[in-house]
Amino acid sequence: MSQSLRPYLQCVRSSLTAALSLSNFASQASERHNVPEIEAASSPEVILNPLTVSRNENERVYIEPSINSVRISIKIKQADEIEHILVHKFTRFLTQRAESFYILRRKPVKGYDITFLITNFHTEEMLKHKLVDFIIQFMEEVDKEISEMKLFLNARARFVAESFLTPFD
Amino acid sequence: MSGPEVHHLFHHPIADHSFSADRQTLAVARENNVDLFHKTGSEYKLEDELTGHDKTVTGVDIAPNSGKIVTCSQDRNAYVWEPSPQGWKPTLVLLRINRAATCVRWAPSETKFAVGSGARLIPVCYFEEEDNWWVSKHIKKPIRSTVTCVAWHPNSVLLAAGSTDGHARVLSSFVKNVDERPEPSAWGERLPFNTVCGEYLNSTAGWVHSVAFSPSGNALAFASHDSTLTVVYPSGPEQAPRAILSVSTQVLPFMSLIWSSEAEIVAAGYNCEAFRLQGDESGWQLAGSLESKSRPGLTDQREESALNMFRQMDLKGKSGTDDTKLKTVHQNTINTIRSFEESGSGVTKISSTGVDGRVVIWSL
Amino acid sequence: MANINWRTINIDALDPDSPANFDVSSLTPAVAPVSTADVQNNAQQIRQLLRGGDNEGALQGALENPPYGADDKGKETHLATVTEILQSIRQSDMSPMLSRIYKAPGGTEALDVLMKYIYKGMAQAAPASNTRNLTPQATGFSQIHSRGGGEGGGQAMSVLLSWHEKLVEIAGPGSIVRVMSDRRTV
Repeated sequence: MSQSLRPYLQCVRSSLTAALSLSNFASQASERHNVPEIEAASSPEVILNPLTVSRNENERVYIEPSINSVRISIKIKQADEIEHILVHKFTRFLTQRAESFYILRRKPVKGYDITFLITNFHTEEMLKHKLVDFIIQFMEEVDKEISEMKLFLNARARFVAESFLTPFD
Repeated sequence: MSGPEVHHLFHHPIADHSFSADRQTLAVARENNVDLFHKTGSEYKLEDELTGHDKTVTGVDIAPNSGKIVTCSQDRNAYVWEPSPQGWKPTLVLLRINRAATCVRWAPSETKFAVGSGARLIPVCYFEEEDNWWVSKHIKKPIRSTVTCVAWHPNSVLLAAGSTDGHARVLSSFVKNVDERPEPSAWGERLPFNTVCGEYLNSTAGWVHSVAFSPSGNALAFASHDSTLTVVYPSGPEQAPRAILSVSTQVLPFMSLIWSSEAEIVAAGYNCEAFRLQGDESGWQLAGSLESKSRPGLTDQREESALNMFRQMDLKGKSGTDDTKLKTVHQNTINTIRSFEESGSGVTKISSTGVDGRVVIWSL
Repeated sequence: MANINWRTINIDALDPDSPANFDVSSLTPAVAPVSTADVQNNAQQIRQLLRGGDNEGALQGALENPPYGADDKGKETHLATVTEILQSIRQSDMSPMLSRIYKAPGGTEALDVLMKYIYKGMAQAAPASNTRNLTPQATGFSQIHSRGGGEGGGQAMSVLLSWHEKLVEIAGPGSIVRVMSDRRTV
């Protein structure tokens, strides 16, 4: 792990641990309902101040906490257009299968690439510290994945170019 | 001091629990039902289920003397369950609220109980002999958000309530013909229904998760979602309190607290462990955790041989120790702590339940 | 008036009694308004301390009276002051300095304020990133020059991140919780 990545992930980890203090909270706006308050935004007092953790202007995490749900949005590093396309395709692939990922939100928050929505039902069903571990691991892996895909893409492009250009040698 | 007594009941969150006076019966709120466990030997065995609610049950309380059980739920209802030859018989309480009920507690006199609700009011319920049902009177006035917790003063008239609007309040719930006129105390002298005896907000104004009166009733403590615990000492009716002491802790917020004596509070919450706080009117501070750090089971994790480590890496593809299990007894947030055993000098044992489905009995 | 679509009106917003109209300002205990000039004066004094080499005094002074009541400009000025102090302190001095502040009276309060400034400082980097300065037809081989730009602001962030790490060690997750729940923003 590179030198500046560690404090970044450490900071995300401690911020998430603090934000994932959720409790079961029935809606105040509509009876017999129990909805994620961060999405419904129907009672301002149960929504807390959002936190931003950033490593540089292209990599950051935005955490929006509320009494029974937390929205975590990640902006993945995109240094050039290929990475931009790869990140777009990769996150689209995941969000289209959001049901199978439980905590994934179907649509990222504006300005970010991928968003997780964790509610109190998730923290009850799963261990809280493992949820945090998962997000951290996802952030580590996704960078690796994108750069691997880019290398693979470049290698393939070179190979294609070579075989097309061989007859003209 | 012996280790904590752990009972793992099931893999569901326990919103609230209550023991009967003889500590043989345990009622826990599990999803839409209340499960009754009976102590057989050293274990608690499932004995009965109270079904009737159709949304998550949020509160359960057994009256120590009469044995009646009151439950409330997010379906806006509360029931009083009484034992009968055919099993437990529920009576619907006329709460007249249109949002979820969040918590319920019997008054020490057992003639009334208070229910917290998301409708921004507190129904105080009592039994009407003539009509043979439980009716309620609403405490409405200064409450501006969901009431998350209620606690009774020993005189059964004063009621403390915490709310998501960041305030902890002391209110009067005096009902004519049910209550006797209370002795004047530091909180107030004349106490008609819905008198606001005190309204407290700390500087960071987090949601209040738990409130409690001290054993004498002359101090109030509340824990809020800014990881603070605030203790209020009133000086007299209509006067500013003598002292409001706020402890900003380093740990995650507390969900529940009880006074074990006039100078000690036990609080637990998102840290999955219980903490002791000690102090008096001059100041309070965190005095440490109830978990003993040298529990068996912790040490054997560390004594892992190199062979084991490589075997782990080979078989499971992972290195290092298993980090799935937390080092605390509870594996998830603690929701409720209650007094389990008391002696002349104060509480000697407490019981705690949490999201992990465990009931743990700690000796202090 | 004639063309209002009645179905799309948010009736909750019109009911003064609805939960949507909760007055959040009732959660902030009296905050005195501070003028921008006062903040600037204060910043001058703190810079004086900083120039005199008294980093710790400067940090303490800056955290003692956060301008909760100031307008956006005043808050920004104070943020700049705090960031400047944080950047001028060496990494090895961070932990001892923080534990000294923590032990001083009102120390937890000061560290909570510091935590708020660290998060605010990190949030500041956000708007700049929306202007992606990529040429329309850049090829995959443009990576070298754009990577240089991509790490912009990384230096300032890594200072804040290491402060954050040291601060959590001393003030615990409790202080992060207070940043989220406190309605008095910096």
